[in-house]
Amino acid sequence: MLEFLFNPMHQGWIVQGLFLTVEITLFGVLLGLGLGTLLAIGDIYGKKPVKAAIAVYVEIFRGSPLFVQLFLAVYTVPTILNLQIDHAILAFLVFGLNSAGYQKGYVKGAMETILDDQMQAGLSTGMSKIQTLRYVILPQAYRIVIPSWTNEFCSLTKSTATLGYLGFMDLVGAGLAIKGSNYEILPVWIVIGAIYFVWITGFAKIMDVIYEKKRIPGVELAMQS
Amino acid sequence: MDVWQQFIILLEGVPLTLSISIFSFLIGIVVGLPLAFIRVYEKEISFVVDAYEKIFRGVPEIVLLLLFFFGLRPFFPFPFGNAFFVACFVLGLRSAANQSQIYRGAIRGVGDEQMIAGMSVGFSKWRAIWYIMIPQVFNFSTSGLGSEYALLIKDSAYVYVIGLAEVMTRSLQLAKSGPGDYVTPFVLGAAIYIALTFPFAFWLDKWGNKRKKKIGL
Repeated sequence: MLEFLFNPMHQGWIVQGLFLTVEITLFGVLLGLGLGTLLAIGDIYGKKPVKAAIAVYVEIFRGSPLFVQLFLAVYTVPTILNLQIDHAILAFLVFGLNSAGYQKGYVKGAMETILDDQMQAGLSTGMSKIQTLRYVILPQAYRIVIPSWTNEFCSLTKSTATLGYLGFMDLVGAGLAIKGSNYEILPVWIVIGAIYFVWITGFAKIMDVIYEKKRIPGVELAMQS
Repeated sequence: MDVWQQFIILLEGVPLTLSISIFSFLIGIVVGLPLAFIRVYEKEISFVVDAYEKIFRGVPEIVLLLLFFFGLRPFFPFPFGNAFFVACFVLGLRSAANQSQIYRGAIRGVGDEQMIAGMSVGFSKWRAIWYIMIPQVFNFSTSGLGSEYALLIKDSAYVYVIGLAEVMTRSLQLAKSGPGDYVTPFVLGAAIYIALTFPFAFWLDKWGNKRKKKIGL
């Protein structure tokens, strides 16, 4: 049943796959957070054309499957630009840009729960708008946004399972490679699934604990999609 | 092959994409509603629902598809040998885990008073749920269900891994068969997906707001 777990080569693949999955998710979700914050600020303070552009961006990245976006990036961007770009970098960019489309909504929601009063308070103490955002609004918004951010992290981790089909050695890629060597398939996928499960659920638990420590008493993000 | 021909080939995949999404959505309603009510009103066994949700939210859809299709097919060729069944089964159960959470929020929105009122005029717990709670729950869950539907349309692209010829699979086939033109099929595919997700979610949200206004909320 589980012979493949005792084969050093297959162990190596699984460990390597786990690393790639974790690495690309972490980078992607952080790029998404940074870009999503910018988009949220642009959506709150921007002029009409900026808002429209952001709406189109979000609709494109949230409206089409990540699978399609990945294939589009990996197959077409090097051709169009006539450049050899590392596929891992392209994949990382796609995950970041895609995640930004989702995180913009979360960050915006978090900012809006505290924005009006505190912005006025900040301005009245002589801070500029940007200073107030940087030192007052955003630090709180990031504390409020932790639960939605955790959800986004979990779903992005699950989305990285597509990487195996683009020839990357992530966890699914490891599973596909092991599958090639004549084992029963069912246990392989159960083990891969279990690894994802432990990593995602464990990470969510840790983030819950952090949220409980960091939460602002009395302020909570209203449930929104 | 010109753009128009490619577009037609991709459009032929739309019925499959839509039927997978819609069947999964229905499975999600049928399984998700009871899960939500068990979670709220049957505290003793709610840990089962909790475990179910955790598993389906913690394992990637692709791994579940591969597990049920390639893993279980040798043992149970009857239901799991059919790729369409596996697609609806996996995406439906995954959707049930999400929908259960949406309905739980909606149950809270309807409020416990109505449940108590129902029971005080002699309804049993499950009759009150069926006749009083469920009809109202949908009014409160439209925006969540809209995004869940969009999620299902997008997730139906994952069934590429079990070889169903829906829009995503067709884009890839076109890209690989064509004379090195990878851009057109995927751009067209992405456009089709956007066209499928956006209007319905928008409409459902509008409908929900109208309903809520009509019943005075």
